[in-house]
Amino acid sequence: MAFQVSVFLENKIGHLERITSVLRAAGINIRAMTLSHSTQGWGILNLIVSNPQLACETLSDNKFSATLREIAVIEMEDHPGGLDDLLKKIAAAEINFTNAYGRIVSPGKTAYLAIDVEDIGNCLEKLKRAGLKLIPDNDVYGNGNH
Amino acid sequence: MIFWEKDIETLQRSGIHKLQVEKLNQTITIAQNSLYYDKLFKQKGIKPGTIKNIEEITKLPFTTKQDLRDHFPYGFLTVDRRDVVRLHSSSGTTGNPTVIFHTASDLKNWANLVARSLFTAGIRDTDVFQNICGYGLFTGGLGFQYGIERLGCLSIPAGAGNSLRQIKLMQDYGTTAAHAIPSYLNRLYDVFKELNLDPKRDTQLHTFVIGAEPHTEEQRRRIEEMFGVKAYNSFGLSEMNGPGVAFECTFQNGLHIWEDAFIVEIVDPETLEPVPHGEVGELVMTTLDRIAMPLIRYRTRDLTRFLPGDCPCGRTHYRLDRITGRTDDMFIVKGCNIFPMQIEGVLMKIPEAGSNYLITIENINDNDELIIQVEVKREWFSGDLAKLDNLTRLMAHKVRDEVLVKPIIKLVEPGSLPQSEGKAVRVIDKRKIL
Repeated sequence: MAFQVSVFLENKIGHLERITSVLRAAGINIRAMTLSHSTQGWGILNLIVSNPQLACETLSDNKFSATLREIAVIEMEDHPGGLDDLLKKIAAAEINFTNAYGRIVSPGKTAYLAIDVEDIGNCLEKLKRAGLKLIPDNDVYGNGNH
Repeated sequence: MIFWEKDIETLQRSGIHKLQVEKLNQTITIAQNSLYYDKLFKQKGIKPGTIKNIEEITKLPFTTKQDLRDHFPYGFLTVDRRDVVRLHSSSGTTGNPTVIFHTASDLKNWANLVARSLFTAGIRDTDVFQNICGYGLFTGGLGFQYGIERLGCLSIPAGAGNSLRQIKLMQDYGTTAAHAIPSYLNRLYDVFKELNLDPKRDTQLHTFVIGAEPHTEEQRRRIEEMFGVKAYNSFGLSEMNGPGVAFECTFQNGLHIWEDAFIVEIVDPETLEPVPHGEVGELVMTTLDRIAMPLIRYRTRDLTRFLPGDCPCGRTHYRLDRITGRTDDMFIVKGCNIFPMQIEGVLMKIPEAGSNYLITIENINDNDELIIQVEVKREWFSGDLAKLDNLTRLMAHKVRDEVLVKPIIKLVEPGSLPQSEGKAVRVIDKRKIL
């Protein structure tokens, strides 16, 4: 079970930096991130970090609205067409996601696609049936031997 | 002829006072027929004829909005319900609304005051008058409608909003005069520009009547400039019928308040004693012509003052200055009267919003906006953008249902709003008034 840390933030100068400085002080490494924004001056920051539990607690202690959100992290090959291959299979499995971001695990070999969905249980079930391979948590958080 | 009713409008002060004393004693007689005043007058030993001169009005007790609410709906009614032909009521579902009943003669008198007011602002029966204002329980719609008809204009009951249709009506029927809230006219002008139209060239407008919302002298001048019209201030409140209480004449130097229909006092809101003539205090009004629901010494909560000196127009009725504020926490946005408690009541029912929030009224691009900032608490934050988006829409929708103004809901980070101290709801009004 892989988790991203989701943080509410206002779309204002310096607000993202306040979050990264809190994480820096806690010795947390950021592996991947996306920012999705609404049209009303706020957005949600999604982070994959070395220690999601600690990151979430630290941010909460510093008065941020942060939460752990389970995501599906799927393996793909790191070459041209790798993402296209994967997305074809995800579409065939009829999985709809609201946010997605990727990261290289092993250059030239393995990468992953993290997807955020409405119903994670259902999504994992479909991925399994489609024979898609999930990345082990340690590799997601970047704590493995790569 | 510049007067609608010359004898009344130019009556000398002593004549005004004599008329007021006479009508006040009649009003006491009528008011006795209501449950509320009957009981109160018996307690205080007030009888018709008690008042010998106008200064003695201070012997009478005040009436407040709370009294109206506490005796909702019929406690102030003096006549059989078969004689009542209309009611107007405040918006909202929080607590009892403020409701005012009218007999047919009440409506006739009210229409006459509106007609007199419009005539005072230079509008004549040859004018085509477009009433750009919500009809229904709000008094601005029907109140102006009946007055326009009494005056004899061609009336266009256009209602509020739909700027494209408003402009089409103006062009199709050659509208010469209109009533609207000032903030709407800024928006309407923008639509004129988008259509590559210039109201000065492409309409026959010459007079606007603006009111129901606080605005500055600069805003008035800008509206006059944009549309090439004269814009006159209108003042009214539903407890005193609605529009037609006080109106500017063509000298635009304060609002003549119709003293044959109302006794007007300005009192110190703390001591409730009259303030010296010309000083700011709370406006207190007594109806003199109303049958179904007379109100005696009603505390309007509006702060204003009498303007000293005579008006060159020849009307003798005192002139009121613009309303400079309120003695309660009510505020007005887009012509709607809003109490912070109404908004609090709505938000309290939405668990995600119940924690900490702040109400701000701000003029953005010439529009008064009601902004509600709500802190996103981690207890209910799920990281789902769509959910938060839906939540803001739900809040905006529910607040609109209550106060009739659609707010802008701004989600903010926890800890960014001042902590509420469990007392009055915080409202920050950033509009520049006066």
